[in-house]
Amino acid sequence: MVFFQLLALAGFLAGLYGIYIRYAQTKARAFPADKSPLKGNPSHGIAYAFTKGMMPWAKESTRLHMIAYLRGIGFHIGIFTAIGALIISPFWTLLPSLLSLTLGWALTLGAILGAAGGLMRIVEHNLRGLSIPDDHFAVWLVTVWMAVSAAAVWDEAWMAAYYILSAITMAYVPLGKIRHCLYFFFSRVFFGKFFGRRAVYPHPDVAK
Amino acid sequence: MTETIELALKTLEAQLNQPLETALEACARCGLCAESCHYYRAEPKVKHIPAFRAERLRSVYRYEHDFLSRLFPVWTGAKKLDEPTLASLTEIAFSQCTLCRRCTVNCPLGVDTPLMMRAIRAVTTASGTAPEILVMLADAAIEKGKDPSFFKDMFLEQIAEMEEQLRDITGDPTATIPVEKQGAKILYVPLAGAHTILPPAAVFNVAKEDWTLSIFEAANYGVFLADVNRAKQVAKRIVDEANRLGVKEIVIAECGHAYASYRWDVPNWFAGQFDFKVRSLIEVLADYIRDGKIKVDPTAIPEGVTYHDSCNLARNGGLIEEPRYVLKNVVRDFREMTPNRDQAICCGGGGGLVALAEYAERRIAAGKPKAEQIKQTGARIVVAACENCRLQIGDLNERYKLNVQITAITDLVVRAMRLPKPLPGHEAERLFEGEEAAVVRE
Amino acid sequence: MSDAKLSLDFKGLLCPMPVVKLAQAIKQIQVGEILEAIATDPGVMADIPAWTRSTGHELVSLDKREDKTFKFVVKRLK
Repeated sequence: MVFFQLLALAGFLAGLYGIYIRYAQTKARAFPADKSPLKGNPSHGIAYAFTKGMMPWAKESTRLHMIAYLRGIGFHIGIFTAIGALIISPFWTLLPSLLSLTLGWALTLGAILGAAGGLMRIVEHNLRGLSIPDDHFAVWLVTVWMAVSAAAVWDEAWMAAYYILSAITMAYVPLGKIRHCLYFFFSRVFFGKFFGRRAVYPHPDVAK
Repeated sequence: MTETIELALKTLEAQLNQPLETALEACARCGLCAESCHYYRAEPKVKHIPAFRAERLRSVYRYEHDFLSRLFPVWTGAKKLDEPTLASLTEIAFSQCTLCRRCTVNCPLGVDTPLMMRAIRAVTTASGTAPEILVMLADAAIEKGKDPSFFKDMFLEQIAEMEEQLRDITGDPTATIPVEKQGAKILYVPLAGAHTILPPAAVFNVAKEDWTLSIFEAANYGVFLADVNRAKQVAKRIVDEANRLGVKEIVIAECGHAYASYRWDVPNWFAGQFDFKVRSLIEVLADYIRDGKIKVDPTAIPEGVTYHDSCNLARNGGLIEEPRYVLKNVVRDFREMTPNRDQAICCGGGGGLVALAEYAERRIAAGKPKAEQIKQTGARIVVAACENCRLQIGDLNERYKLNVQITAITDLVVRAMRLPKPLPGHEAERLFEGEEAAVVRE
Repeated sequence: MSDAKLSLDFKGLLCPMPVVKLAQAIKQIQVGEILEAIATDPGVMADIPAWTRSTGHELVSLDKREDKTFKFVVKRLK
C-alpha cells in the first residue's frame, strides 16, 4: 500500500507544483496599478466578492438557475472534502465510525452531484454547445474519483484503485480546466477591486 | 504566418496582464451567464452566451500558451489564429458585445468577459481589421487636437449665438457661455452639438458657477477601439486644456463612456499631470439641488418618467444613486425599470455600436429586452444620461413602437427650474397641465 | 445648379452620425467627384473639417445657411 500511497503523494505534489507554476506565471505578469481616485473601497469589494456576492440570491443568474448553482456549490464542497480526505487518508482507520460514515456519504453526495453535472453537460443544449472535451473529461474524472474515495472510505479493497485515481486526478489539476480553482481566487479579487473602487459592490442597500 | 496575424498575436501578448490571463483561465463554462446578456435574451442561441464568445479568444490563447493544448488542440478546443478566425473575432467583439459587464456581475467566478472583448478590439485595431469608422472618428478627434485653429472661429461664432438663446431662456441678459476662461473652477466638456451645451449652460448660470466650456468634445472613439494610444491622444486635448486653464475640476457631459474613461482610466494614463477632480454633470446637478443652488419644482414634470442606467455610468462607473436623486427631485412620477442599477439591462447601443451602421440591424434586435423593460414601466419619458443610449433608445422607440420621449437628465432639470423660456425642442412640454398659464402668471 | 454626384440630408442627426453617414456615402462616389450634404447639428462645423483632414479628402465648402442649417461639400480624393 505504501507504494500506492507514495504514488498518490507524487500525484498530489505534482499537481501542487503545477498550480504553483501557474500561480507564479500569472503573478509574474503585469498588474496595472489603478491610481484613479476612489469612490468606494476595494477591500470591501473583495470581501463582498467572497461572501455576500457568492450567495445564491445575490445575482440574477443564480436566482434564475438556483438548482444548477446549488448543485455546483455542493459538487465543489464535495471536491474540497475529497482533497481533505486524501490528505488524511493514512489515518482513516483512526476516524470514529460516525465520522467515517459521514465522510463516505459526503463524498457519495459529491459524486452524485458531479454525475448530475456531467450528464447536464451532455443533455442540456447550451451546456453541450459550450463544452470542450476537457470539460467532459474533468467533470467525470473528479466524479469517479469522489465515488472511489467514498468506496475506499468504506471498503479497504478499493484503496489501491483510490490512490491510483487520486494520483491521476491531482496531477491533472494544473493541466486542464480544473486549474480554474486557482483563477477563481484571482478573478474574485480583481472583481472586488474593480467594483469596490467604484462603489458598485457593496452597494448601499436601497429598494430596487 | 502573415504580417497581420503576427501583429495580432504580438498585440495579444502585449496585453496579457494578470486580469486578462485570469479572465482567459477562470471560466468553467457553466453557462450561467447566458441570460445576463441582452443578445441572448433577444435571441436565445448558444452563440450569444458570453462564455461562448469569450471561448473564441480563449481557443487562440490556449494554442499559444497552454502545454496540453499544443499537444492535443482538439482536447481543449485550441485553435491557431488565422485570417478567418481574426475576422470572426472582430465581428464578435464589435457587433456582439457592448462591453456592458452584465455577464461579469452575474458570473459566479466574476469572469471579466468584456476585458477579453476589449483585448480582441485592441488586437484587431493594431492589425488593421477594426471597423474603419471608429478609427476615422478617433483620428478626426485627434486632428482637432493638433490644430484647433481650423474650427475655433466657427465654434466661437456658434457659442455667441447660443449665448443669445441662453439669455432668452434664462431671462438673464448677463448669462454667458465662457470659453477658455483662465482660472475657472470647472471645465465643462460637452458633446458635439448644442443639446449638451445649452441646458448645462442654463444650470451653470443660474447656479452662478465659475465655469468654462471646453472647445473639445468628451466622446473618445479610441476607447471603443481599446486603442490606448489613440484614446490617450484624444483625452490629452482635454487634459492639456484643463492644465492650461488651471481649472479645479473637469465636468463631463451626460455621456457614458466619456465619464467612465475620464473618471477611471484617464487619471492612470496621465498620472502626474492630472491634478483635478473628474465629475459627471449629474453629480454637479445633484449637489446644486442638495445645496439649494438651483431651485427645482418637484411637480414640474407630471408625466411618468423612467431612468435607463447606462452601463458605463452605473455598473462600470459607480453613478447609481446620483441620477435617481436628481430625478426624484424634478419628476412627480418616477418609475424604476426591473432590473435596474448594477443589474440593469444594456440598451444595446454601447461599446461604439451606435456608430457602426453595418451592424445596425443586429444592434436594434439586441435592444428588444430593453424595449420590453421600457414598455413595462408605462412611462412616457425615458431618461438616459448617455448619448449612445439615447440614440439607441431612439431607434428602439421607432422599431418597437414605444411611443416615448427620450431625454437627458439636464433637460428635465432645466424644465423643472421653470425658466422664462423652454429649451429648443422642448416648447410643447410647457403646455402640460396649464404650465404655460403658470409661467405667464409668474 | 450643383454638380454634386450625391446630395444627402443629415437633418436631425446628432454627432457622430453625420460623420458616420458621410464616411459611408463617400464610398459611393468616384475619386474626383463631389457630394454635398445638409445637417442641423452645429457639431458638423468642427467634425466635418476634422474628418476631411484626417482622411485626406477635400472640404470644398462648409457654410451656415439662413435657415440655421449647415451645408458642406466634400470632394473624394482617394
